[in-house]
Amino acid sequence: MSDAHADQDWRAWFAEHGARLRLIARQWTRSEADADDVVQEAFVRFWKHQRHLPGDPNALVVTSIRRAALDLLRRTDRRAAREKVVGDDSETVTWFEPEADPRLQALAQSLPLLPAEQREVVVLKVWGALTFDQIGEQLSISPNTAASRWRYAMEALRKLITARAHD
Amino acid sequence: MTDPDHDLESALARLRPRPPGLAVTAALARELDPPAARRGVVIAWAAAATTAAAALALGLFVGGEAEESAPAYQLVRAEQSPVEIEVLRPVRLEDGSFARPVRARWENTTQWEDPRTRTRFINYRPSEQTTLLPLETY
Repeated sequence: MSDAHADQDWRAWFAEHGARLRLIARQWTRSEADADDVVQEAFVRFWKHQRHLPGDPNALVVTSIRRAALDLLRRTDRRAAREKVVGDDSETVTWFEPEADPRLQALAQSLPLLPAEQREVVVLKVWGALTFDQIGEQLSISPNTAASRWRYAMEALRKLITARAHD
Repeated sequence: MTDPDHDLESALARLRPRPPGLAVTAALARELDPPAARRGVVIAWAAAATTAAAALALGLFVGGEAEESAPAYQLVRAEQSPVEIEVLRPVRLEDGSFARPVRARWENTTQWEDPRTRTRFINYRPSEQTTLLPLETY
């Protein structure tokens, strides 16, 4: 990740990292619109108040996203209880840009099918560029548990891709 | 022999997540771009300081020895120091939640110079800002 400590233009930084931040936010939100809201709130907080803090800016921005997503979930849970709103946005929108390579396309379609606890580890490792230690801190689990979920996820992805290849 | 997990990770990394919509960027611009009014104040401040420097220099030289011409101050440097961050002990807020105060200090220095006389006019402005970072407790 490029250096967010430097006196850098937020537009350039966001253009480079916005897409992967949104994918991370999507792991903890119910809809694309919620993910956008979370990215917006978290990025403003990070850029205004946290990017000069010591430590890995990558981990800081992921923490900011997770916090904003959890706050939103709490608010919407209360609202849903009041309004009896039904209807998760169960993903008619794809998370990735279209790919010409069939294997990549199969991967893009398979990732959302993983159990949430495995999927968030995969997203944080691949697009969050976090270590298992950092993932453990984010999710309040041990690094070993994070690594274990990663291995299960890789195994599940291989099976899903193979199944799609034989369809 | 290749690690199959590593191959899969490499393939995953090639996937391109969809970027946030334009509405997100527009909202960020409203939050993060400096407002026009603030820019106007900065320009006005800079103009006033330049005028004051010129007037000061003019007064010095007109009242003193006869000089061939008044000094002409030019902006030569405007810089902001690295921000010093001080992370303080967590505090408990009125609503029962916890937060960690973080204090940031930095300085802005602007210098004008008359190249003929090598005299400088320096504006030094220290700043301090304290922010509360909410602490998540589970």
